[in-house]
Amino acid sequence: MPTSGSSFGAAVWAILRKECRSEWRTRYGLNAALLFAVTTLTAVSFAVGRLGDRTDLLAALLWVVLLFASLVSLSHAFVREVEAGTLTLLRLVAAPTAIAFGKLAFNLLFLTVLELITVPLFMILMGGPPPRWGAFLGVLALGSLALASSSTLVGAVIAQTRGRGALFAALCLPILLPMLAAAVSGTRAQWQAASAGAEMRLLASYAAAVLAASVLLYDHLWED
Amino acid sequence: MSAVAAVPGLAATLDAEGLHHRYRLGRGLEPVSFSLSAPGAAAVTGANGSGKSTLLRIVAGLLRPTGGTCRLAIDGAAITVGQCRERVGFASPDLSFYDELSVEENLKFAAEARGLRDVLRSVGETLDLIGLGSRAPERVATLSSGMKQRLRLGFALLHQPAVLLLDEPGSHLDEPGRTLVRTTIERHRRSGLVVFATNDEQEWRLADQRIELRGGGLGHPA
Repeated sequence: MPTSGSSFGAAVWAILRKECRSEWRTRYGLNAALLFAVTTLTAVSFAVGRLGDRTDLLAALLWVVLLFASLVSLSHAFVREVEAGTLTLLRLVAAPTAIAFGKLAFNLLFLTVLELITVPLFMILMGGPPPRWGAFLGVLALGSLALASSSTLVGAVIAQTRGRGALFAALCLPILLPMLAAAVSGTRAQWQAASAGAEMRLLASYAAAVLAASVLLYDHLWED
Repeated sequence: MSAVAAVPGLAATLDAEGLHHRYRLGRGLEPVSFSLSAPGAAAVTGANGSGKSTLLRIVAGLLRPTGGTCRLAIDGAAITVGQCRERVGFASPDLSFYDELSVEENLKFAAEARGLRDVLRSVGETLDLIGLGSRAPERVATLSSGMKQRLRLGFALLHQPAVLLLDEPGSHLDEPGRTLVRTTIERHRRSGLVVFATNDEQEWRLADQRIELRGGGLGHPA
């Protein structure tokens, strides 16, 4: 059967579209993530009011909310395939690396949608000072890339194990700690009119290292 | 050319030597050796647990064997696990589809992920062949087990594979469905290679060769 030139690109694109369609129909992750983000922000807002110039607290709170709102869904990228028995179908139509990059692309898109709703809500409820948009969006984008790439990799590794929920947390949180620290520091720095360049370089390096490890590892995953 | 015929002119050979597998929790496939070549069909038979599905999963590139060799070649050139996705069609009862997507969307996804050029035509012809044209917009979750089995057959045929691997192809099917399986095997064996696991005598009589697995299992019929 004739195939198009770039089967890797075609597979990644097909998997991204399939993930979007499935999520749109089931709202498996987005509803839970948004519920967590809105509930947390509303509760903290009622408890402590607007934090105003407490940029250290604001930066930490923003990333804690984004991290825990997204993790539940990001961890399920592969677990859903295993539980629904569709991983065999995926493996028959695409290379492991293409599957992983398709999932990563979806996780990035998912994080973007989550942030589009959560960040403005955060600004309104917590009363943060106006950000320096270039640095703020830079830290947000690189932090999201680092978060999505590491949680996608860990999700792929633990997908076929028993007790995968506990294993995901046990593996993911230590791995994410450097990324989380850099993202919080960078977000605080841009609010304090300091340079966030070092943190952005750290986040970019972290994401690049995880992606490189992913490319090496994905082909060896998912064997019975 | 029909979207569901084997690719013409591709001489497929499948050779196994001492091929065996052990799962972590128990036996899988006792050592087996055979040599098959296209055009033709081979039936893999044996009692439950003798390793029929394991053998097909190894050939499809889904499972790395514990020992022995399995060499699938097209026109004399051995194909890699990656090339298996393009050259081999695989269907088994434990192959699941996305319940939230329609029948057509599942096949479209498979065709797009495989990078097929004429996705709509391939999907349309496959749906017509397996008799699910009228159910194309319905979600897979609403299908009966027999219809899902037809969909598995369509999934295996979608990309015109040179080698067709069918695990218990007649399971869950009514008589028209079984006729569809037999017709598919008959058609594909003329130009490609079909290997199918079955204990249905009507089905294994379609084969030129029979690979009987004797290891493991719960016992063999006399």
